[in-house]
Parts: sequence; C-alpha cells; structure tokens
Amino acid sequence: MDVDLFTWWALSISFSSIFLAVVSIYLFVDTKSRRKEGIRKKENVFGIARNFVFVWVLLGLLVFYIFSINLGAGALSEAVFTGGNIVVEVLLVLYLLRNREKKSEKT
Amino acid sequence: MLLRQFKNPIFVILVACATVAGFFGEPDQSVVILAMIVIAVGLGFYNEYKAEKTVQDLRQAVSIKAVVTREGKSSQIDSKLLVPGDLVSVYVGDLVPADMRIVKLKDLEADEATFTGESFPVEKTADRLDVQNPTPQQLTNYLFMGSVVVHGSAQGVVVSTGKNSKLGSISGSLTRSHPETEFQKGVKSYGNMLLGFTLVLAVSIFSINAAIGHDLVWSLTFSLAIAVGLVPELMPAIVTISLSQGARRMANVKAVVKRLVSIEDFGNMNVLCTDKTGTLTEGKIVLKDVYPFGEEKDPRLLTYSMLCNAAVLGEKIVGNPMDVAIWEYAVKSDMQNSVEPYTKVDEIPFDYQRRMMSVVVKKNDKCTLISKGAPESVFSKCKYADVGGRTELMADVQKVINDKFYSLSELGYRLLAVASRSTESKTSCSVEDEKDLTLLGFLIFTDPPKKDAHEAINKLNDMGVAVKILTGDNELVAKTICEDLKIPVKKLVVGSDLMQMSWNEIKAVVEEATIFARITPEQKLDIIKALKANKNVVGFLGDGVNDAPALYEADVGISVDTAVDVAKEAADIVLLEKDLLVLANGINEGRKIFGNTMKYILMGTSSNFGNMLSAAAASVFLPFPPMLASQILFMNLLYDVSNMTLPTDNVDDEYVKSPKRWDMSFVRKYTLFFGPFSSLYDFLTFGIMLFIFGASAAALPGATDAVILHSQSLFQAGWFVESFWTEVLVMFVIRTRRIPFFTSRPGKWLTLLTLSCVAFGTILPFTILGSFMGFAPLPPEYWVLLVLMVATYVVLVDAGKVFFYKICKY
Repeated sequence: MDVDLFTWWALSISFSSIFLAVVSIYLFVDTKSRRKEGIRKKENVFGIARNFVFVWVLLGLLVFYIFSINLGAGALSEAVFTGGNIVVEVLLVLYLLRNREKKSEKT
Repeated sequence: MLLRQFKNPIFVILVACATVAGFFGEPDQSVVILAMIVIAVGLGFYNEYKAEKTVQDLRQAVSIKAVVTREGKSSQIDSKLLVPGDLVSVYVGDLVPADMRIVKLKDLEADEATFTGESFPVEKTADRLDVQNPTPQQLTNYLFMGSVVVHGSAQGVVVSTGKNSKLGSISGSLTRSHPETEFQKGVKSYGNMLLGFTLVLAVSIFSINAAIGHDLVWSLTFSLAIAVGLVPELMPAIVTISLSQGARRMANVKAVVKRLVSIEDFGNMNVLCTDKTGTLTEGKIVLKDVYPFGEEKDPRLLTYSMLCNAAVLGEKIVGNPMDVAIWEYAVKSDMQNSVEPYTKVDEIPFDYQRRMMSVVVKKNDKCTLISKGAPESVFSKCKYADVGGRTELMADVQKVINDKFYSLSELGYRLLAVASRSTESKTSCSVEDEKDLTLLGFLIFTDPPKKDAHEAINKLNDMGVAVKILTGDNELVAKTICEDLKIPVKKLVVGSDLMQMSWNEIKAVVEEATIFARITPEQKLDIIKALKANKNVVGFLGDGVNDAPALYEADVGISVDTAVDVAKEAADIVLLEKDLLVLANGINEGRKIFGNTMKYILMGTSSNFGNMLSAAAASVFLPFPPMLASQILFMNLLYDVSNMTLPTDNVDDEYVKSPKRWDMSFVRKYTLFFGPFSSLYDFLTFGIMLFIFGASAAALPGATDAVILHSQSLFQAGWFVESFWTEVLVMFVIRTRRIPFFTSRPGKWLTLLTLSCVAFGTILPFTILGSFMGFAPLPPEYWVLLVLMVATYVVLVDAGKVFFYKICKY
C-alpha cells in the first residue's frame, strides 16, 4: 500500500468530517447569538454535549472508516466495513427516534 | 427563445471547456461536452417554449377586449386583432387599444399620463381641428393607445395600432415596468453566491494543480469542468417548468397568472391590501330595509317604490340596480302582488338634473303621484311628511329627517326617499306636477357583507397573510362592514391623518392598522411602499382605474376578470372571481411552487458543492483525474433530468402554512452543512476504490499505462455510480422535514423518473456508452459495499437533517 496516498486520503476524509463538525458548531453559535437576550435559555455543558451527539457519531464514523479502509483488500476489510456500517446505522436510527419532532402532520 | 439559451453564461463556460479539450488533443472529451450542450440547450428551449405557450393561453383568457364595429355589426374582439379602419367604442375605465380619430363622443375625458406625462385628464372633442403640425397634446380629437378613458364614452376610427401607434414608436422609454419581485431578487443573490463559490473553487483548483506540476491544459479543463459542475445548469428550465405547471394548476383554482415570476411572491406574500367592495361585500346593491316615517308597517312605501320603478320584469328582473333590488326585496317578502290593484297612468323618467322619477297611478278611480329619488331632491319637492301616522309640515320635521338621513348615510347605506300626493284624474303629468308632496320614508340600500368573507379572512390569517382594507369610503362604513363580518379591527387610520404623518410614522402605522379609510389613490401607493420598505411581501387586490399604480407597485398585483382594462393590464394575477377564498387557494399553489423550486436549489447546490469539493481535493493527490470533465457534466445532466419532475412533487402541509422568503443565509448554511456529507462519502468511495479494489496500483512506481488507465477507469466508474446514487437518493430525504416515505410521500412521477435515472447510471459502466465515456465495469463486491455505504449515508443525512433544523431553529 502506498503510504503517501493513504495519508493524503486519510487527511482528506478527516478534513471533510472536521469541516462538518466545525460548520455544526458555527451554526449552533450563530443561532445562539441571533436569539434575543430575553428568551435566551441557560444551557449547561451536558445539554450542549447532548445536542452534539450527532457530531460525535460522525467523528466516530470517520475513525471507523479510516480503520476499515486501512485493512486494505481482503475479506477482513469487507467484513469490518459491513459490520461497522450496520452498527452505525443502528446508532443513527436510535438518534433519529430520540430527536425527531414528536408531531408529524399527515400529508 | 432558442437564442436566449445560448446567452446563458453556463453555455459560454461549456463551450470554453469543449474548445480547450478539442484544441489540446482530447476530441472525445470535446464531443461529449458538445453533446451535453446540445441536450441542455434542447431541454431548456423545449421547456421555455411550453411555458411560454401556457402563459399565452392563460393570458388569452383575460386578454383586453375591444368593442369593434365591422360591416355594421358590433362584436368584442381581442384588442390585438384591431386594424386601421376599424370603428371602436370605448367606455369609462377602458384602456384605449389603438390610436384613433374620435367620430362620436359623450363627455369624454382621457388620462394620457402614460403617454404625455400630463397628470390631469384631457377633455376630448370629435370636431375637426385646424392646427398646423400639431403635437399629440394638441390632437384633442384623437385618442391614443395606452391612455385611459376616465369619463364618458366615445367611438373612433382606428388610425394606427401596435408598434405604429404613437405609444409604440416611443415605447421602451414610456412603457411602465414592474419592479423586480422578491423572487427575482432572490434568484439574483443566489446567482451571485454561486458565482463566488465557483470563482474561488475554479481558480484555486487551477492554481493548485498547476503548482503541483499537473499538465496545464488538463488543469484548465478540469477547473472549468468543476466550475460547470457547481452550477445547476437546468435551474432555469426547472424553475420555468415549476412556474408554468403551477400557473396551470392556479388557473384550475380560478387564478390566472399573467406574469410567471410573480407566482412565488404570490405564495409568499404576508400582507394583502384589498378594497372593500366585492371582496368583503357582495359588490351588489340590495334593499336592506324600508324605513317609513309613519306607521311602522306602512305597506305603501314598498308598494309605491315598486310602482315608481323602471325595472323590466321578465324571466329575470333587469334595469337600474336599485330598482331591481326593490323588486327582489318585494319578491322575497311576498309583496310583489301588492301592485296589482294599481294602473300606471303616466311616468316622468329619471334624469340626472332632477335625480328622481315620478309616476301617476290609479286605484279605484283615485289617482296618486309617486316620486322616488335622491333624498335631497325629493325633500325639496315635499311640503309635508308622514310622521308617526300624522301629517306634519316638512319644515317642522326637517331637522329630525335630516339627522336620520345623515346618520344612515354615515353607516354606509345608500338611501332613496319616496313621496306621494293625491292628484286629480289625468292622463298625463309633467315635472311641474312634482310639488307639494308628502314624504313617506326611506328605502335603505346596502352592499351586504359577503357570507364567506369572514371564513376567507380567517383562512388568510391562518396562512400568515395579514389583510388590510384600503377604502375611499368613510371610517364608519368600513368599521360597520368589519363588525358585520366579525373582523377584529386593530387600528383604523383615515387619509387626513396619514397626510400629516412623516415617512417613518407611516412605516410604523401601516404595520399596526387594519383599516385605512377615506384614502386617495396616491395614499394607497404610499401604504404599499411603506409596507414594502418594512420588508413585507405585499399583495394588492384592486379593480378600479385608480388602482393601476398600486397594482404596479405591489409585489403581486391582483385584479379580477370584471375589472377595468387598466387594472387588468397592470395586474400580475387575475382572479376569475373576486373572492378571497379563490385568493387563498391560489396562495396555497404559489407556496407549493416555491417549495419545489427551493428543493431543487437546496439539493442541487449542496450536492454539487460536496461533489466538486471532493473532486478538487482528489485532483491534488491522485495520480489521475478523479473524474473527466465530460463525466462531471454527464452526471450533472443526468441528475438534472431526474429532477425534471420535481415540480410535480408533493409539498408537506406545514410548509404551505406560512409565507416563506428567500433567505440566502439559509441556502448558504444548508450548502455548507449538507455539502460535506456528500464529500465524506466521496472520500470513502475513493478509499474503497484505491485500497480495497486496487486502483492505487496506478500510484505504484513503474506502473504501466495499461495499469494506470484501468485503475483510472475503475476509480472513475466507482465514484460516478456512488456519487450519482447518493446525490439522487438523498433527494428523498431532504425534500421533506418529516420521515421520508413514511410520513411524507414523494410524487409518483418524481419517484419513477429518479429511480429510472439511478438504474441508468448503474448500468452505464457496463455499456458501450460507458466505455466510450471512460468507465470500466465494476466488480460484484463493489455493489455490496455500495448498498451498505449508501444506506448509512441516507440515514446519516436524515440524522443530519434533524440536527440541522434543531440547531439552526429554522
């Protein structure tokens, strides 16, 4: 395996994930600052961390993808990739179930 | 229209791409790019042609008609079909359809402001003029195309039409144009944002690739392809399809669109200014009550008003609206037979000098003269008044009667007075006989409130549209109507108060007030300007001659089919019924169209941004181009084709519940957030193709051309398919805020076309076309990993969507 190519690739995919995490933080901060003083609610660190579960999942996903691709060609790599994807999907569905707005109107 | 397609800047970039590729020894690339151009131009032309035809058909339904006399027969024709020599009749409110020499007129005055700049109406004549080299202003025996008849009527011979008319010869400088709509402004700022993204990315890619030693021509072609790849080429076509299909649907709910770009603003308007007559009221005179001064149930008042009446009775009662209303009231009260014992002896018809009419009727050999007319006129002919069953001298009760008359008038009622006296038997009578009458009472007329107006206003309020009433009537009339309709009046402002206010005060008051009474046409314009200055999207519903400036100024000018020509001409949307419920249905359609247009913009921009970002990054470290210019363009085209049926997509109910605005900050954030998702999975695919399927062999020292070519084709095919799958399938996730498919179903045509395009994209690497485009067939394991990866991607984007709306509070 060409190390340079792999490093380039790992940097690129990390950049896109980190970019996404930074955008998420920017959106969060921007919304907070745009909200009026009067209705600003105090949010503790735990609340903010919970809001950002999605970002943690995303970064976890990144580590998993880099790890499985690093295994290179072969059955092990494909098996890890498959298993990891299924685990991630389950986590994301759980996130969706807990966070989607309760009321959904019918079309 | 075909030439317009070539004026598109995207077309220029594409041609530059094809030229560069062809010139520097890549004829295959050049051919593919040229084929893309032909397809994109063809699709754009076809859709614009269809949209244009739809608008033409719709405009035809509300086109301006002219009353023309040809070979002695009068008929109504489209004013565009007039030819010199036609004899044309015009009436109050008509827009003069051609230049014409007046041959006959009655009290004619025309507003030639559009034409001469003269703000006062000009009195016209049919006489011959003896002026040498006259200016248009001196030609008072002419009516010029584009002027408006403000008083009287006329008949004239058409001298010149269209471009040959005076207006036609100087048009361009004088033709009144609509201000830019909020939607047009939004599209413009979107274009600017895209231009910024494109320039930065294309210049950076070219510079970086050139700096790291990639071939200059390849770097240029690739950066141009990235630039084109960022732009949603078929956006004009998709917007046009959305608008024209929406216009057709709106026509089904009786709202005819004259200017397509106004549809979005129609859906997004949050303030509707409307007049009172015909929208809140029936726009029809009815007799509300009879008010005898004498006995409470004196039947004479109604019977006499039926006798002193010019309405023609037949299958339908026709004639003066007040006379018709009297008969309709009598029929409803089962009093129509009360006139049977009477015989009409003679009649003095109504005229505008006397403002009354009289009849002499006979019953049991006794003759009675009955007069009916404008109260002030009838009062002057009365010597007595029948008050409480007693006959009093008019002079003694004049004050009480006048007070009643004024109090009823102030409430917005229109009154007629009825008086009578016994007269000797005679076979004829004259105006001189209208004297010494006894006043019997008033007939009280009103334009009743519309039954569904309350429901319509509530519906509009629920849709986030504040309704403001702009009327020339007095405040009591407007208030009475609102009370009758149970419309809450937050604040009432009269024209005289408005006149005293500064611009800032007007801007503040227009937000609070719901009724503006006794206002002039100029003040209507000021109110609309102030509302617009407050960042509202303002609709104005009007049908009168004086409403035209306000119709032009509003973001959406709305008129009705029965309106005067100038109002119809100035309007963007013409309602076939003057009904607020029709308006509410139209707004709903407008919001759906806006919703589907925004879906395309948001999905296209974010996906393209993500893909191009990853292509740009990959071009730096890969030993071959991540995708050829032709492949990028082909994927864009295929994606756009899959979006062609997006205008037919379902829109969630909650989306159409409130007005939406173009919010560039939202589009930008959406692109910044969802774009990298696509990049993340693009990079994942790069990793799979390079390190699992061995495309990295091209980077090994001593790799042969065959190895490099195979690695490149495999890599490009793998990325093309993944990129296309994710780009298209994610559309089902981000087209709604709900759970895709389960609580928000996509339109069937969208689903069908999208899945067909996905199928096509999937088999492409196995076809001759795929091979021609530089793709290699993909191994079976790839498809397993692709399905897993895309499934995770779709769920991840759905989770991202929940996170985005939760964090951004949109």
